[in-house]
Amino acid sequence: MIPTRALCAIGLAAMLAAAPAGARDLTIVAGGGPLQDHMRSTLFQPFARASGIAVADTSYDYNVGPIRAMVQARNVTWDVVMVEAPDLVQGCEDGVFERIDWSVVRRDKFLPGGAITCGAGAIGWGVAVFYDTRRNANGPTTYAEFWDTRTFPGKRALRRGARITLEVALMADGVAPGDVYRVLATPEGQARAFARLDALRPELMFWSGGQQPIELVNAGEVAYAVGFVGRTTNAMRSGAAYALKWETLLYAYDYWAVVRGSPHAPAAMRMIEFITDPAPLLELTRLWPINPVTAAVANDVEVRARNPLMMTNHVEKGLNISTEFWIEHGPELERRFAAWLNR
Amino acid sequence: MRGQNALAAVLVAPLLLLLAAAFLVPLGTTLLTAVADRELADTLPRTHHALAAWDGEALPGEEAFAAVADELGVALEERRLGPLAQRMNFAAGGQRALLLRTARAADGLTAPYAVSLPALDPRWGERDTWLRLRDATGPVTPLYLLRALDLDQAPGGAVTRMGEEDRLFLTLFLRTLGVAVIVTLLATLLAAPVAFLLASLPPRWAGLGLLAVLVPFWSSILVRTTAWFVLLQREGPVNATLVALGLTEAPVQLIGTRIAVIVAMLHVLLPFAILPAYAAMKGIDRALIRAAASLGGSPVQVALRVYLPLAFPGIAAGGFIVFLLAVGFYITPALLGGPRDQLVASFIALFINREVNWGMAAALSVLLMGFAACAIAAARLLLPAALKGRLSP
Amino acid sequence: MSAAWAWRVAIGALALLVLAFLLAPMAAIIPLSVAPTEVMRFPPEGFSLRWYEEIFTSGRWLLAARNSLVVAVATTVVATTLGTLAALGLTLGRFRGKAVLIALFSLPIVTPSIVTAASVFLAFSLAGLSGTLAGLVLAHTVVAVPFVLIAVLAALKGFDMTLLRAAAASGAPPHVAFRRVVVPLIAPGILTGAVFAFATSFDEFIITLFIAGPAQYTLPRQIYASVREFLSPAICAASVMLFLCSTVLLALTSWARRRQ
Repeated sequence: MIPTRALCAIGLAAMLAAAPAGARDLTIVAGGGPLQDHMRSTLFQPFARASGIAVADTSYDYNVGPIRAMVQARNVTWDVVMVEAPDLVQGCEDGVFERIDWSVVRRDKFLPGGAITCGAGAIGWGVAVFYDTRRNANGPTTYAEFWDTRTFPGKRALRRGARITLEVALMADGVAPGDVYRVLATPEGQARAFARLDALRPELMFWSGGQQPIELVNAGEVAYAVGFVGRTTNAMRSGAAYALKWETLLYAYDYWAVVRGSPHAPAAMRMIEFITDPAPLLELTRLWPINPVTAAVANDVEVRARNPLMMTNHVEKGLNISTEFWIEHGPELERRFAAWLNR
Repeated sequence: MRGQNALAAVLVAPLLLLLAAAFLVPLGTTLLTAVADRELADTLPRTHHALAAWDGEALPGEEAFAAVADELGVALEERRLGPLAQRMNFAAGGQRALLLRTARAADGLTAPYAVSLPALDPRWGERDTWLRLRDATGPVTPLYLLRALDLDQAPGGAVTRMGEEDRLFLTLFLRTLGVAVIVTLLATLLAAPVAFLLASLPPRWAGLGLLAVLVPFWSSILVRTTAWFVLLQREGPVNATLVALGLTEAPVQLIGTRIAVIVAMLHVLLPFAILPAYAAMKGIDRALIRAAASLGGSPVQVALRVYLPLAFPGIAAGGFIVFLLAVGFYITPALLGGPRDQLVASFIALFINREVNWGMAAALSVLLMGFAACAIAAARLLLPAALKGRLSP
Repeated sequence: MSAAWAWRVAIGALALLVLAFLLAPMAAIIPLSVAPTEVMRFPPEGFSLRWYEEIFTSGRWLLAARNSLVVAVATTVVATTLGTLAALGLTLGRFRGKAVLIALFSLPIVTPSIVTAASVFLAFSLAGLSGTLAGLVLAHTVVAVPFVLIAVLAALKGFDMTLLRAAAASGAPPHVAFRRVVVPLIAPGILTGAVFAFATSFDEFIITLFIAGPAQYTLPRQIYASVREFLSPAICAASVMLFLCSTVLLALTSWARRRQ
């Protein structure tokens, strides 16, 4: 016999619990993983303590779909989000993000390019070639060598997407880093990039999540990978025997942005001001090799000396990923890349 | 009798309402989204009006030029240009840049706009630019459905094929069909012996065997896919076994291949094939088989002429369910497959989560639904008996 | 007869292989969940419960477990209630188009799940139901309800309507007759349907992937997030927990069926 009343009571309780909560905490969203765990303890929670504002944090996979959906539905459940530059600039034009209130966030503390209409610089990130020296003593130091399967046999991992991958392919084809975007804007340049990818195709594997290149290299699925330097250097600090080739670096900034229509917008601005300040960021540098966009931390001699693997120490060797190029050519090249991948 | 029917209607109504609200309306939304074309009308209403009256022969009149110059700047200022910019850029690359550039410069433009707009960007002096805008006057567009079939719309609406390098979706639908068919065939072929064994075992042993089928059936698809991810690694147990058996010399790549996708899909879907087949075989009267054998039928004859036809509805119903589920698979190819192993579902997810192109996501969904409907229709034609089989174990 | 026996042995061996194939992943997950290291390598060296400790102390896993339970219970209650009522209506009613109605109610099972998920996402986004637990319950109910309907319809098939008339003749008001006569007889069917509904919601992933915000993450969704972000044996530990829940449910259904 079913205890009808008990069932009804449980159901009612569950329905009540399922009803949307009236007030939600200020919600900050970043890329997850260990970095976010460290940001929680050094940035988010100290802000909550200092301001008395309750903060919840959660992660996403840098897909802007859900953000656009919540703005369109006028049901904004995220407040502060870490966003990639092209998504930020495009979202800013499209009214997906609030304009940063520069009277609350101090503009002059950022490196050049770190303060833009809808975003305040969060961290720099980059990708570069790395491999496990316990499996392969030697490896490619340039993209031309990354393509050289005779000298360096084995599978390679690249990002599943046009951005980064096409730049890398062009550099492998001999284009100087300074000319990459000029060449990639032309149909001939695009054809060259895809032809290079075709040549390496049998040896290529593609990753989409940030941890995957590490997993692929650790499991021996690939010999060499282009992967995020933050995750790579962190693994190196905890004992992984990787060789990381800074000469193959491509880098950009991520930004903190406020989702348009956020009911917590004023608090969100205060939070952004707090979490881009030198003091909490210095704490974070002790836990994770971040690449700050806040000038005082990025230029801190002691921090740079303490973290030889910090990307900031190596950016002059790398290529800055062009935001403008990818806003203009992104949709078309991504479509072509998707078609290429499936052929 | 009428009272009883009224009562029945009252009892059925709540579920019908729920189904309408949370399923039929969403399906309708998808159908509409796949063809809706409201961006121009919503963002630039005066331009929309002016273009609706344009014959498309020569360039449109000053009225259209003035409306564009006037409305684009306002839309940018109010930050609502995004959807239109995306819609136009989807139709042809470079349109987003054109619209934004014009919107930014709109304040400095002076009449006559038919002169000042082309002076700002020569594309405003081309008929094709205007034809593309006119193609977007809606309220419906075939563009998304065309693109989902690797077709394109030339300015003015003529249907053309996509360039070789941009073709994608026909391959994708064929691949989805191929994978679904392979998985269905393998599942039915492997399900039959299991069902036969379970049906002929004594109850205690059959119960144990059934448990081996039901345990994976009841565990989350995500759990099982993750498990295969671990098992199929280069240094995982499957490769270790292959090497130990001497089948390969060195570990082979399995993750990121079609084999991994099919193995994991088969694992997820096999119980759906086994359970109906088992139910059908369990229902077969043993006396009938004995009678056939005693009438002089050879075992093979009995199996093919008597047993199989009796079990067929269950086997076919299982295969039918497996096919329908396989067609919509997303997570297994995403986690275990390489780029050439992705099915239609991956692209629906991509267009929703990454590209934020709801029109394409909806168009692919509509085609996939049509695909499933065709499969149902084919099954109805080919296996009339199968549909009388039961769906649940 | 020897040929027939050879056939039987071959079929039996093949069947056993398939059964082993079905169980293999579960057999792999359990030892990995007690691995002491972060790397998921097989076979694990050593034993530790640290990953169980992690999922039982991490806020995100606990939130996901709570969400999973809340959504699954709410879905079960709504789906079981509406499904049972509809099954009664479909059995009582003498109208045409009953088959059409049953087909309509079963539509969510035959629609490819990605299409349901995408459609629900589009509609719920426009209606502001995305990112709410109520929206999740609504969507899960739609895919869970056919199982209840089928189970209860099957239970009602063997139900003798004259019993109801007898109850009415002996003066019982309709709702009393329903509770005293109908419910006890179809209870095992309702229970089977309810368990199916619970399991459907508890394991549902694709719709959740599309419409749940991080505050509504369920266990499968959290496993997916972890697979994407940072693959560790914690996922295996969570999988084992999910798997234990499923096994308990399975035991419950077989118990219900035996009573039937």
